[in-house]
This record gives sequence, structure tokens and C-alpha cells, in this order.
Amino acid sequence: MKAMILAAGKGTRVRPITNVVPKPMIPLLGKPVMESILEHLHDAGFDQIVVNTSHLAPVIQDYFRDGTHFGVQIAYSFEGLLDRGQLQGEALGSAGGMKRIQDFSGFFDDTFAVLCGDALVDVDFQKAVSFHRERGAVATIILRDVPREEVFRYGVVATDPTGRITQFQEKPKVEQAVSTQINTGIYIFEPSVFDHIPSGRSFDIGSELFPALVKCGAPMYGVELPFQWVDIGSVPDYWEASRLALRGGIRGFRIPGREVMPGVHIGINVGWNPNRCTVRGPVLIGGSTFIGDGAAIEGPAVIGAGCVIEPGAVVKECILADYTRVSSVARLDRLVIFGNQCIQPNGEHFGIEETGVSWVIDDARAKQEFAPVQQELLQLAREIAD
Amino acid sequence: MRFEENKVGDVLVAKVLDGRIAADVAPRFKAHLAEYVRQGNLAIVLDLGAVTFIDSSGLGALVSSLKSMGKEGDLAIAGAQGGVASMFKLTRMDKVFRMYPTINEAVSALSVTAVP
Repeated sequence: MKAMILAAGKGTRVRPITNVVPKPMIPLLGKPVMESILEHLHDAGFDQIVVNTSHLAPVIQDYFRDGTHFGVQIAYSFEGLLDRGQLQGEALGSAGGMKRIQDFSGFFDDTFAVLCGDALVDVDFQKAVSFHRERGAVATIILRDVPREEVFRYGVVATDPTGRITQFQEKPKVEQAVSTQINTGIYIFEPSVFDHIPSGRSFDIGSELFPALVKCGAPMYGVELPFQWVDIGSVPDYWEASRLALRGGIRGFRIPGREVMPGVHIGINVGWNPNRCTVRGPVLIGGSTFIGDGAAIEGPAVIGAGCVIEPGAVVKECILADYTRVSSVARLDRLVIFGNQCIQPNGEHFGIEETGVSWVIDDARAKQEFAPVQQELLQLAREIAD
Repeated sequence: MRFEENKVGDVLVAKVLDGRIAADVAPRFKAHLAEYVRQGNLAIVLDLGAVTFIDSSGLGALVSSLKSMGKEGDLAIAGAQGGVASMFKLTRMDKVFRMYPTINEAVSALSVTAVP
């Protein structure tokens, strides 16, 4: 079967993480979210997958290439252009991106699935496709029920008793929502859906295509299937998803590395003496990371690969990108360190370079050169730490 | 740099009205605090509630002001939030300064220890 992964978004709600990587490449315990999606699609019998890319497209394409390593065939539909040596994204919207692929080669020649590249799902696609075909639908949306106070974040859908969709609302106010069933961004389509999508311009599935389908009376259905949906749509989502994954709370998601003590998973070539530092799980320590004597790591925490946690440093409930150096005087408490930024779980952030805190936290490969004021602070912090 | 001063008993409460304490303003910031000390203010609460950004130079200016006050003076920090509070914690400067969530708490703490 064929599928399409939507991967062209800018991911503005996950900034500043998405300044460096596009949303589908956000690492959950070191593994890009889209890799888990591909694995699930593969297991569900999808073998040909087109991915539309735009923002930071090469990060996606250089990782997944033609899909061989993931047991599927992958091709990309790049939305943008190369201008004076720089790739400029010009995303066409979700439906516009589908139409571009269809106009290009007529790729979608049978029932196909479309899903977002930024949420881990273990939806039963066989069931969804059976539901879709039994009803002769042109489009079927996988729905989920959410608490009423959360509906304002999503597209809300009203269905009749047969599952046929009667109404759509894009991010309604809580008091105006017609139901608590929301669009999860997972769709099953027939190729005839392309009759309703204009060519060569931006067009959105949720806010343009679906209202158009409802209006013309096309058979469109929604089905609520029980499945786990781990959305990485914002920094708080990413924070919660990482902690959930560390606790083993995401079905089918394996914590990498070897469990050397309860809840403590480590990669290979880790330089540490477990008897001389304090590590309290759940913690994942990436390969080739160094942990100095007297350092303390308190979970849930992810320490990326190639990190240096200097002797005496304290890292409490943090997610550190690969190659993060944490100085012996540092005390990191509930922070994501990614792309040279210190990010709080609510998304507030400050730049490491911008604030001149490279004497506390830095790239492990960087040459250590400190300005006089930084040296003075470092000395003072050392006196306190002692 | 703009400040708003308010005297509560013996304690001078100085609210920083600018959003940033960075390298470009650090010398003026330091000079301003030195002037408070020269005027005889030995208990100062620095209200950082309106500050949204502080860098290492800003921290350095605060540290040297604290040092210049010597043993008889006292400087407390109140109302640091978000990234600013996080900066103090990350660098352990929250152990160098006496930090309080509110101005009232900072004022009471300094009032107890203020030199008569």
C-alpha cells in the first residue's frame, strides 16, 4: 500500500528546536519521530511512501534516503526552490502537497493513507482501511475523543451514527465546539479525492479540503479507533513525550542501550564509574558520553551521545542533545539543551552563545576560551560548588 | 539603564525597568549600583521582575556590585522569573545572591539583617 507523510511544516510551536531540525526529525530518546512512524507503516504493510519536505528538507532526506534501511521505498516531494545556493521552503499546505505528487506522476492509484510526521501513532491501519472501504468513503479521518477543555487546539468533527461526517470546526472555542471528537491528522483517501483539490496552490486538508467535501456531499467518514497518539506538536508535548518514553510508556517504543541498573540505559563506550557518580533512573545515556566522578544525574533524563558531564555537575530531569558539555559548576534543572539553546519545559528559552554561558554549558567539541568576566564567574561558582 | 527606587525602612528597593541586562549596559549598571552604595544604602533589594534577559556580563556586574558592598552591605534579588531565574540557577549564582520570589520577602529578609 501507498502512504504519504506530511513533513513540510515549519514547526513554529516547537521552536527553537525546529530552528535546527524539522519536526519529523525531533529526536525522541535519540530517534527521530518519523523513524518510529515509518516502522509502524512498514509493519502495517505500507511499502511505498512519499514524503513532502520543505523546511530543512535535507535533514530529512539525508537521514532516510531511499528508505532501504527502513524496509520501505521512500521518495520526496520538495516544496521550494534553490535560490543563490540556499534552499528556500515554499510549502503548499497538506492537500496542496498531496496534489503536487498526484499531478507529477499519478502516484496514488488506490486507497492510500496520509499522516503527519510529528506524532507517534500505533493506529490499526487494517481496521481503518476496512472501515473506509466498507462505507465507500472518499475520505476517512481517524478520530479521537479528547477532554472538552482541549478542543480549542484541534480540528473538531461531528459525525452521524454511521460515522459520516456532518460538520467541521477548525480550532473552535470550547463553548462552541460541536463535539469532543478531534481530527488526529491521520487519513485514508481514495484517489478521487484529488477532484476536490486545486493544482498549483496552497491548500489545507483540515480547513479547506474537508469543508469542501462536506459541502458537496462527498462520502466522508470518521472512525474512532483506540490507539496511542503521542503528539510532538509543541515544546511541552516534546517534554512530556520524552519522559513518557523513558518510563516505557509508549507502546512498541524500545528504549535504546543496555539496562545496567534499574531504569538506567546506556549506550556503548560510555566513560564512567557507576560507583563514583549518582545516576537515578529513568535515564538514558548515549554512547561515547563521559560522566565524571561526583556528577549527579537524576531522571527522567536523556543524556545524548558524545556528551561530557564534568565531575561534580548536577543534571536533574533534563534532555541534553548529543555533544553537550556540562561544566562541573553547572546545575541543570528541568531544561532541554538543544541547538545551542537552553529551553524550559514551557518553551521559554535563551541562547547559550547569546547569554555567554558557554563557561557552564557548551558543545563538548568546542575549544574552551573564556572572557575575563566568564573566568571570574567560573571561579566564584567553583568556590560555591566546593 | 532605568531604575525605579523606593525606600522601605532602611532597605532600598531598586526596580530595573529595562528588559535586558547585557554586556552593553553592564558597566552603567555597575556604576548605578555603586552610586547607591556611595549614598549610604547598605541594604539593597534589586527587583528583576521586569527583566527578561540577563547574560554573563550582567551576572558579572551583579557579582562585582555585591563584592563592592563589602561585609557591611547586603544585596538581595527579588522577582527573577523564567529564563533569568534559570540563568541564576544554572550558573549557581542563586547560591551567591540571596534570592526571593517577591519584593516583600526580600525586604523582610534584609530588614532583619540590616545594619542599624
